[in-house]
Amino acid sequence: MPSPPPGVSERDFQAALRDLEGVVGREWLFSSDEDVLLYRDGYSPLWGEAEERKASAAVAPNSVEQVQGIVKVANQYGLPLYPISTGRNLTYGGAAPAYSGSVVVDLKRMNRILSVSARDKTCLVEPGVSYFDMYRHLRTNKIPLWIDTADPGWGGLVGNALDRGGGYTDIEFRDHFDAHCGMEIVLPTGEVLRTGMGASPQAKTWQLFKYGLGPWVDGIFSQSNFGIVTKMGFWLMEEPEAALQVSVTVPKRRDVVPLVDTLHSLMCAHTVPSQVNVVSPLMAGNNPEMLRLRGSGGASDEQWDRYAAGAGGAPFWAASFVYYGARSVIQAQWQHTKDRLAGIAGVRFQETASHTFPLTDEQVEAVADKARYGIPSLNLFGSRTAPGAPPLEGHMDFSPMLAPHGEELIALTDYTGKVYADQGFTPSFVGGLMFHPRTMICFHAVPTFRAPADNARTRKLFETLVRGCTERGWPIYRIHPVFQKLGMEMYGFNNGALHRLHETLKDAIDPNGVVSPGRYDIWPKRLRGQRA
Amino acid sequence: MKITKLLGLVAAAACVSAALAQEPPFPIAAWSRTTAAVEDRGTSVERGAAVFNNWCSACHSRGPQNAPGTASLQVKYQGSVPAALEDRRDLTPDVVKVFVRNGVAMMAPFRKVEVSDADLDALAAYLTRARP
Repeated sequence: MPSPPPGVSERDFQAALRDLEGVVGREWLFSSDEDVLLYRDGYSPLWGEAEERKASAAVAPNSVEQVQGIVKVANQYGLPLYPISTGRNLTYGGAAPAYSGSVVVDLKRMNRILSVSARDKTCLVEPGVSYFDMYRHLRTNKIPLWIDTADPGWGGLVGNALDRGGGYTDIEFRDHFDAHCGMEIVLPTGEVLRTGMGASPQAKTWQLFKYGLGPWVDGIFSQSNFGIVTKMGFWLMEEPEAALQVSVTVPKRRDVVPLVDTLHSLMCAHTVPSQVNVVSPLMAGNNPEMLRLRGSGGASDEQWDRYAAGAGGAPFWAASFVYYGARSVIQAQWQHTKDRLAGIAGVRFQETASHTFPLTDEQVEAVADKARYGIPSLNLFGSRTAPGAPPLEGHMDFSPMLAPHGEELIALTDYTGKVYADQGFTPSFVGGLMFHPRTMICFHAVPTFRAPADNARTRKLFETLVRGCTERGWPIYRIHPVFQKLGMEMYGFNNGALHRLHETLKDAIDPNGVVSPGRYDIWPKRLRGQRA
Repeated sequence: MKITKLLGLVAAAACVSAALAQEPPFPIAAWSRTTAAVEDRGTSVERGAAVFNNWCSACHSRGPQNAPGTASLQVKYQGSVPAALEDRRDLTPDVVKVFVRNGVAMMAPFRKVEVSDADLDALAAYLTRARP
């Protein structure tokens, strides 16, 4: 039997579990070791160590009223709760709590698609609805709308949006929090709140107009612990007539500057609608000379271009993106893009995929880059790439935010390549992904392991990257719970004024400090001594 | 982790219908791969096939496309056993349960709100069913 949460007596813990059982029924309270272990984070950088974040129990409600009942029990006993949606936020903590001893509130059973409007192109869903669920619903009912899915299709619309995740389609939909419209939240006191137009009970526009009247509070429920979101509305993309996926390659290292500048300009003009993915095919793989240049942290353009010239014609940079819409418009957008980029010597253009919608089942099966067309999959989950090589066990995303400038991407590549090499790691994939309208995210997959000694190296690497990139102007946008304290330290302007405001809000909204203590380093007053 | 013993395996195997002699027994469209709840209907093996479709096929279908788990097992076993779990003849119910509840490599464990104990029994019955 797991230990009670810190500060809660065994007697109170057992009484609380009995009360929780009364709320959800015996089947949906999980308190045996066997069951609670299923809430470990399989990708934890602290796997198997004393500091690993572990739950004390889990409870799975099926209704808003049951969530309210759970919150009431938590307030009575001072029980820390940790709500999860589908529990698949892997690389960012999975189903494990931020604070050990928390009772996980597993919202997976609340998986109802409450409404979809083909006319208004909106939906309202519960937290347990996965991208697979929503895609199936639209497909089965022949509703000509697309979701924007995160890479793993078993993730959920609500949880991913609340952690401010992203996808690949049109700019209006791929920033998942930005694409939401209206929430319902069970506050830590048990009161139910609806935001935006949902606060006006007769309004017919809850999923149509985001703001309502007065301060717009939705943002405080993302990357936070101010309530348990039980419903969330989203805007959905109308299925286009067609899509054209293209690739633009350039041969030299410094070519990335005009490439990114031009594509960003085209994004801002809504000529290029999709996420733009700028990667370096030349810097992929394990060529020793390439790794030496990357690890040097300061190889010149001339050195790199000499290497490129001898590398068999691989382009230095490749940008891929998708046009969605009427076929005739797409062709005009693509021609305009080519005209704008034609001045880069050696630039090459390629059409890599063309689709007309709706797709047949067979076509869906055959589509590469499924997420670019709102099709969920788990295609990124392969563990083994070479016979005899150890399987990938997990990773954390390190995700610095850059201005959309090629010079910045080069500087980041120089810095992180040297850090990886100095600490004995193979430098990560290099790419600038334009998810958001005015920045690039440069994801680095930092590997995690099951062996503590290996994870100690990983944690050192991760912390070095976070601190070093922040010093250079590239703080991260999202971070694993084990590093959320470090992450918030990187947002420390005026001696941590932002963090102090977060905790002022916490004390006002959650006076007993029961919802997700420690998430994004926001601690309730009674537990501030727990900040590690 | 304690492993729940599979009950009724023999009975489940006896439920294998003539239709199961055809492979694949339950044709699955890619888009139908979901994490929706599995309805409690049909035989244990039929229910297990639905569990496999909902929770496993997005990684472990026969592929070759859209089956990263199958591709990984091909790399691991190099053909000494079939890479697709549905084609394996050497799995036991306990092995299926250990992997589902413990995970392996990048595959995280599945919680009981996702794959219930009853669903897991059915899944084990499906992957270990008697075949001609």
